[in-house]
Amino acid sequence: MAGLVKVGFSLARNAIISTSVRSIATTKSLNLKDIRECKEGSTLIVEGVTVPSPRTELLIRAENIPGYEPVVPSSKPPCYMCALGLDVKHTDVLILSQFVRTDGCMLPRRITGLCRRQQKKIGKMVTMAQKAGLMINLTPDNCKKDPRKRREHKKFNTYYDERTIFMKYIPKPLDRFKR
Amino acid sequence: MSAAKRVQQWATFARTWHIFDCKWQDPYESANIIKKYLMGQHKPIYHPLNDCGDVVVCINSREIALRGDEWRKRAYFHHTGYPGGASWTLAWELHNKDPTMIIKKAVYRAMKGNLQRRHTMQRLFIYHEENVPEDIMKNVSSQIRQSRLVPTRLDHIPEEEVKQYPKVMDYPKDYVLK
Ligand SMILES: [Zn+2]
Repeated sequence: MAGLVKVGFSLARNAIISTSVRSIATTKSLNLKDIRECKEGSTLIVEGVTVPSPRTELLIRAENIPGYEPVVPSSKPPCYMCALGLDVKHTDVLILSQFVRTDGCMLPRRITGLCRRQQKKIGKMVTMAQKAGLMINLTPDNCKKDPRKRREHKKFNTYYDERTIFMKYIPKPLDRFKR
Repeated sequence: MSAAKRVQQWATFARTWHIFDCKWQDPYESANIIKKYLMGQHKPIYHPLNDCGDVVVCINSREIALRGDEWRKRAYFHHTGYPGGASWTLAWELHNKDPTMIIKKAVYRAMKGNLQRRHTMQRLFIYHEENVPEDIMKNVSSQIRQSRLVPTRLDHIPEEEVKQYPKVMDYPKDYVLK
């Protein structure tokens, strides 16, 4: 019985994965695409338009900065965020908004190309920015955009401490009158 | 006493009115700043028996920011004095009832508990919004610097600026824009 369930499960998974791959490969692969829907009369036309990346010209890379030297010529080079060495806070929405989709969801690591640690850090800071209501134009449709319209404790301003991202035990705030 | 000395004496002991914008400020951090101005500790003539404290007007106290999950974790205790009269109010519940109470309690608790404390508290004015009565606002001549930067929301930044901002991440070649 268990074997039968396992076989059925793998069949279903294969079916899902194969269909999702095939749906992308119907047009020319290996190009940035924008899926556009336009309606002419009663027919709906969905097309994948090949677009140039809007970010390539504005891209900042550590190796392009004059005077940059790799710290240690080790076997594995650091990822681009580690190489840049930026001190990103959760309020830097102009940087964090580059790592999310239009619904505010963090992009996976195979698309961002970050190392594990940076992916975790950026992902948590995106969560912080969303909870603080700083990126309310990048949220799902059913989201209560304005934090003031949220319920209970969520409707008041909240700030976060970036040191807590990689901290196992969060220290108590220094409040000497705390009970 | 010369005229210049008399003016200096007057200016030294006059009360200054400070304004403090609580927008996106931690009340417990800013209480330590407000406390110094209320008690006059920022003045070289400070002495506990010297009545040299200033007046502080706090505005936008509804817009204070607490750290992390403190809105639902921090509780305020009250006891009516009767048996079973204890009550614990969460920070967000208290802020719903009275948006000036958290900053008031924070400043009160930041000061040492002595006979002077309640009189010092009389010099603190708190308003939950920007509208301050005219007779209070006309005295204000100084501003207290905020301890935390007020964050900017992404939808308040012009769209052109967001597009022209230097980019860190580029999409991979086979990415479908979403
Ligand atoms: Zn890295």
